[in-house]
Amino acid sequence: MTPWPPLLALLIVVPLTGAVITPVVGRTRAVRSANWSLGVMLATSVIALVLVVQVARVGPFSYVVGGWVAPYGIELRFDEFGAVIAVICLLGTLAIVFSRRYAARAMAEQRIPYYYALLLLNLTGMIGFAVTGDLFNLFVFMEILSLSGYALVAVSGEKIAEMAAFKYLIMGAISSLVILLAIGILYALTGSLNMADVTERLGGAPAAPLAVAFGALTLGFMVKAAAFPLHIWLPDAHAIAPSPVSAILSGLVVKVGIIGMLRVYQIAYGSGAVDMTALNTVLMWLGALSIVMGAFFAVFQDDIKMMLAYSTISNIGYIIMGLGLASSYGMIGASVHVFNHAIIKATLFLGAGALIFQTGKRTLTDLAGVGHAMPWTVAAISVGAISIVGIPPTAGFVCKWYIALGAVQAGHPFFAFALVFGALFIFIYYIRMVNAFYFRQPRDPAILEVTEAPASMLVPVLILASLCLIMGVMGSVPLSFIEPAVQRLLLPLGGG
Amino acid sequence: MEVVDARAALAPAISLVCAALVFASADNTFWRRFFSIAAALAKLVIVMSMLPGSLRGVVYTFKLVEFTEGVGLAFRADALGMFFSVVSSTLWLITTIYAIGYMEREPNRRRFFGFFALCVSTTVGVAFAENLLTMFLFYESLTICTYPLVIHDETPEAMKAGRKYLIYTLTGGAFVLLGSIVTYQLAGTMTLSQPGILPLEAGRTTLTMLFVALIAGFGVKAAIMPLHGWLPSAMVAPTPVSALLHAVAVVKVGAFGILRTIYNIFGVALLRELGVCTWLAALAAFTILAASVVAIFQDNLKRRLAFSTISQLSYIVLGAALLTPLAATAAIVHIANQAFAKITMFFVAGSIQRTTGKTTVHELAGIGFRMPYTMAAFTVAALSFIGVPLFAGFVTKWYLSLGALEAGEWWYALVMLASALLNAAYWLPVVYTAFFKTEPTAEVEVHEAHWTMLGPTLVCAVFVIILGATVSVPGMPFALASAAVKFVFGM
Amino acid sequence: METEATRSFLPLAAFLLPLAGAVLTVPLRRISARVRDITLLALTALCASVAVWLAAHVAGGAVYEAYLLQLTPDIWMYMRVDALGALFGATVAVLWMLALVYSWGYMAEGHRLGRYYSFFMLSLAWTMGVAYSGNLLTFLIFYELFSILTYPLVVHEQTPEAMAAGTKYIIYILVGGSLVLLAIVLTYFAAGDQTLRTGGILSADIGQQSLFAIFWCYIAGFGVKAALVPLHGWVPDAHPAAPAPFSAVLSGVMVAAGSFGIMRVLFQVFGVELLREMGVMSMVTILAGFTVLFAAVLAVNQDNLKRRLAYSTISQMAYVVLGVSLLGSDSTIGAIIHVTNHAFMKGGLFLCAGLFIRRLGVHRVSQLDGAAKRMPVTAAGFAIAALGMIGTPPLSGFVSKWYLGLGMLETGNPLLLVVLLGGALLAAIYLLPIVYRMYFREPVLTADDKVTTEGREAPASMLVPLVIVTLLTIALGLGASLPGMPVSLARMAAETFFH
Repeated sequence: MTPWPPLLALLIVVPLTGAVITPVVGRTRAVRSANWSLGVMLATSVIALVLVVQVARVGPFSYVVGGWVAPYGIELRFDEFGAVIAVICLLGTLAIVFSRRYAARAMAEQRIPYYYALLLLNLTGMIGFAVTGDLFNLFVFMEILSLSGYALVAVSGEKIAEMAAFKYLIMGAISSLVILLAIGILYALTGSLNMADVTERLGGAPAAPLAVAFGALTLGFMVKAAAFPLHIWLPDAHAIAPSPVSAILSGLVVKVGIIGMLRVYQIAYGSGAVDMTALNTVLMWLGALSIVMGAFFAVFQDDIKMMLAYSTISNIGYIIMGLGLASSYGMIGASVHVFNHAIIKATLFLGAGALIFQTGKRTLTDLAGVGHAMPWTVAAISVGAISIVGIPPTAGFVCKWYIALGAVQAGHPFFAFALVFGALFIFIYYIRMVNAFYFRQPRDPAILEVTEAPASMLVPVLILASLCLIMGVMGSVPLSFIEPAVQRLLLPLGGG
Repeated sequence: MEVVDARAALAPAISLVCAALVFASADNTFWRRFFSIAAALAKLVIVMSMLPGSLRGVVYTFKLVEFTEGVGLAFRADALGMFFSVVSSTLWLITTIYAIGYMEREPNRRRFFGFFALCVSTTVGVAFAENLLTMFLFYESLTICTYPLVIHDETPEAMKAGRKYLIYTLTGGAFVLLGSIVTYQLAGTMTLSQPGILPLEAGRTTLTMLFVALIAGFGVKAAIMPLHGWLPSAMVAPTPVSALLHAVAVVKVGAFGILRTIYNIFGVALLRELGVCTWLAALAAFTILAASVVAIFQDNLKRRLAFSTISQLSYIVLGAALLTPLAATAAIVHIANQAFAKITMFFVAGSIQRTTGKTTVHELAGIGFRMPYTMAAFTVAALSFIGVPLFAGFVTKWYLSLGALEAGEWWYALVMLASALLNAAYWLPVVYTAFFKTEPTAEVEVHEAHWTMLGPTLVCAVFVIILGATVSVPGMPFALASAAVKFVFGM
Repeated sequence: METEATRSFLPLAAFLLPLAGAVLTVPLRRISARVRDITLLALTALCASVAVWLAAHVAGGAVYEAYLLQLTPDIWMYMRVDALGALFGATVAVLWMLALVYSWGYMAEGHRLGRYYSFFMLSLAWTMGVAYSGNLLTFLIFYELFSILTYPLVVHEQTPEAMAAGTKYIIYILVGGSLVLLAIVLTYFAAGDQTLRTGGILSADIGQQSLFAIFWCYIAGFGVKAALVPLHGWVPDAHPAAPAPFSAVLSGVMVAAGSFGIMRVLFQVFGVELLREMGVMSMVTILAGFTVLFAAVLAVNQDNLKRRLAYSTISQMAYVVLGVSLLGSDSTIGAIIHVTNHAFMKGGLFLCAGLFIRRLGVHRVSQLDGAAKRMPVTAAGFAIAALGMIGTPPLSGFVSKWYLGLGMLETGNPLLLVVLLGGALLAAIYLLPIVYRMYFREPVLTADDKVTTEGREAPASMLVPLVIVTLLTIALGLGASLPGMPVSLARMAAETFFH
């Protein structure tokens, strides 16, 4: 099967069109919008799947929209890192399924079609971000997903949600500006916005503006990725958003910062014009700090979603550390963790959403004993918890192993130490959670009367939980998938 | 001779299946019991069916998944692993029967038996692990699977103990992970099938630090002082769990890890060169004595047992650290010896607690007349710990003392003697109280525990004698231990 | 010169018969106490006849051996009956049988008889094992087992004193046992061989320091059991606390097991040559000599009868060590037969003490005034045993002292005769006043002692063992030079040790 590049365009066009039409479809009956968006997402998923299979067989390929060649046209480029679209589609589909019952209760009926539209838009933004080949479109898609993200956080219409969304908006806007500035500098230096082009032309550029540009890009993307100490927007936004949105935000949207970083690396290493050593050191430390601080904050949370939100910061720390190590193992681990963390975190957020939906309670104290009432959901959450801590043989372990191996490989055993023990720290609060669910006496006996979540919620959660295990046991599949991309990336550095 | 044989993977898997079935059997007592016992039997049969081959020198291997080259889940039943798995699967069957009796009226039995099976699955996984990664995987899983068992009672103390347990063991696990990573980086492989894989060229400092990391990691579970803190607290768990912690699984896995580290990762020659084992031996000797001294002052029977375990486990560590064939034999054999004797004691403690509600030593006055068979079993175990000839413990003491002399470090032979005396100092008073002090209430009736509890206790006690008296009968585990030692020392 | 050993199941039988008795005690009680008593007696009698038969044949020049089970690939549990062991075994079995019969009467109203009898039989089994052990590890196994498993007998009365004595006993014994273990481990490591054989298994090549370490470990370890003076603390407490029949075997045989161990080790692990080369024996001689006198002096001041006898045991057992330490063949003969002679004499004395306790309620020497009038047979037995203990000819005690004295002259230590005679003199000082009180003092009547004039002699089952023991004391003295008597066995043993 040879690649058929126009599929790439379709990948964006389908959800984008779908998003726009959603409010129309759902105008009379809200449930139609749910069905419609599910259909759209399924179609997108099929396209994504075909593309991923293609890239696995033949490697990266690109499609020039409208036949305009670089540097003027819009180029869509699909490589192994772009395979994240598979996860995006998967989570998107599951989140939409999950939302069916959830949204009906969480928000006013007339808002529901807009909710689905925003969700689709957000997903479109991410898909576009992952496959675009030029810097300006990168920015555009980033804005699409950011703006829809702000709106999604606020969608419930509560006061506190608006506050959270506002905080998110401010931080997001600042970071977007910083990134835009950097893109401007790069354009000024090279006269091109196409990433491949920029990479080629960057050779003789003066050092100072370059440093500013890459520094600004990193800073911007770190805000998006919520690395400590740029994370302040995240906990509120993720905790207050509706649970399916939290899953998307925490699982995917923060990864935009990571994929952005990967693109920046592709330019930087590819051109050979920029010495990333200093930046890498910063990233490693940022990663280590994020792991520890995220865990530290999470320990003191009682609100289950707040806890999960902080744990995202720790996990982003893993990935950033892996990137900063710039060794092949570390890079592979970090890239795969982009996938795995998305799955794990979605498991946890959707599971937590199901608990909150059924019980109406969201603190650990109140949820004590819920494991007996909702065994399947809580079992899924437990699998997620074990996975995110990196206990073998789950998905989290594969990445932890590779990133730690990468740290030793890069000659920084200290970071392996920080990673391994940071993970322990994370475990402390997950064990609190599992304790509360299973082993603590219920504060309110009524919680034992709660029934298991409806199928539309339970099935996505279970699928994700089993994926947590499968990605662990079959850990070699994503690893070997991503490896060529990492080798290509690190080739200018003299191999991994 | 290596043979690819699925049994090496089947042995851990069977308990996994059992766990699933137990969870699936909902609250049906019959099926839960049926699955528990059937799986225990099935595993014993599988392991035993490998035993004759293993005694002939056959090594069974099975590769399950491969992540990247050389890194994956693989099983390999060599002599050392077989020894450990024979012990653990025998004890699993016995403990399961006991647990059925003991947990009769406890809540949450499904959870209990499910995780119980998982624990044993992971234990055999550790025993048969072909590489460090597989071993780590099962090692960590064991930690997780034990947790619900430790906090089974869900009382505040249980929760606290559980937390302590997790913090200790997970920290240990983190060190093991760190050590595994560094090992892979240095040696390019993580296999446990060689007598040592690390090259001396890696540098003394690096190797020493790696050694410390691995030993500290496994040492937490093996409860080497000062890493032993979790063990006495974990005594709040139900007795079959304590048995599991102390005899079948957890602590033994730690000790086994140390054996693997010393024999299969570093190798005897390298360690002799490095000289780090001197320190380990000293630490083990300290633990042996200090834990015994602490044990003397414990009034709670199970706490006394806990400190005794700490002391006894360091026999294994000491044996391994001496780096001589005789001491190594002692270390390996002690896995079985300590297991059977300790489990006997735990069964007794549990039977007493269930039958009379007594938990402290001073309450036990005259219990020997109430529960004569139970306390007779206890006495057998106590004599074994003291190292009275013909009992299991003597074999260890004998070989370990010889090993110490072989290593030219005669003072460890003195440590063994001192430890034997200390063991007497805290076990004999129990026997004494039980048999020679009269109960406050006049009328004494024989009132033994239910047969599901008494039977396993007696069987274990008989094993203690068999292990001590028939060491060299062909087919006894001792032959496996010798084979393992021969391999490790290249004899 | 090793005699070719004959494989025989008899050494095993001597060990297994009492073991069977121990196992059967409790089930047989279900039938009736009488069946149990008779069965136990039958088993013990059988055991004793086996032991005597073995002794007789060994005296005729045979050596028997038996393999029990394989402990480790290179170590068997192995029994070998040579002259030394045969004599000790026969002594043990006979004395035990008598003590068992005596127990019927003594323990008639006792509590927990099941425990008492089964451990009584167990101890016999292990002690027979000690006597017939063919290598060090076997020796150790039986030695440790019987040391520890006699604990229930020591504390049998369960009075606070008995419990305290038991604790003291077990601590001493365990420490001693550990030292013996250490010594055996060291020996195994140095020699790589365990078999007890003439001439010793250690060689001088292993270095002076190791040899000394091994030597002192053995002496200290067995010294605890043999009650050499700084290590004797448990003896004076354990004896009064234990039931009288057990005190009899405790004093007669179990303490002797320590001396027996010392003999085994000195002659068959080190060997005479090596010991002479090492030159350590003079220190043992001094230690033993001091023990003889010191314990005897202490005995004089004891008012508690059994306690006085216990100190006497310490003193008398030191004779054995003294005799051995001289490394002369005559003194060794004296030492070996003194084990047997002392067993019966001291056994007799303790049986009498038990009778005084049971029949008269008397524990103290000062209460024994006029006892002979009420218990003529017992008093006579006591008097004869006491005279034997002092060393009056022609009783058995004289024979052993005679050989000891000969040995002292033979090895050129005439000064030690002072110790020998001093010990005897002191024995007279602490034993004869008792005899004097029994026969020549008028009984002091206490309020509750109404029937003083009537006969209060013990029942036959208790008197018979006493009479037999007394007769043995006389016979072993009178017939000392007859063939088949202990002296001939001892001479055989000494000959193999000194060729």
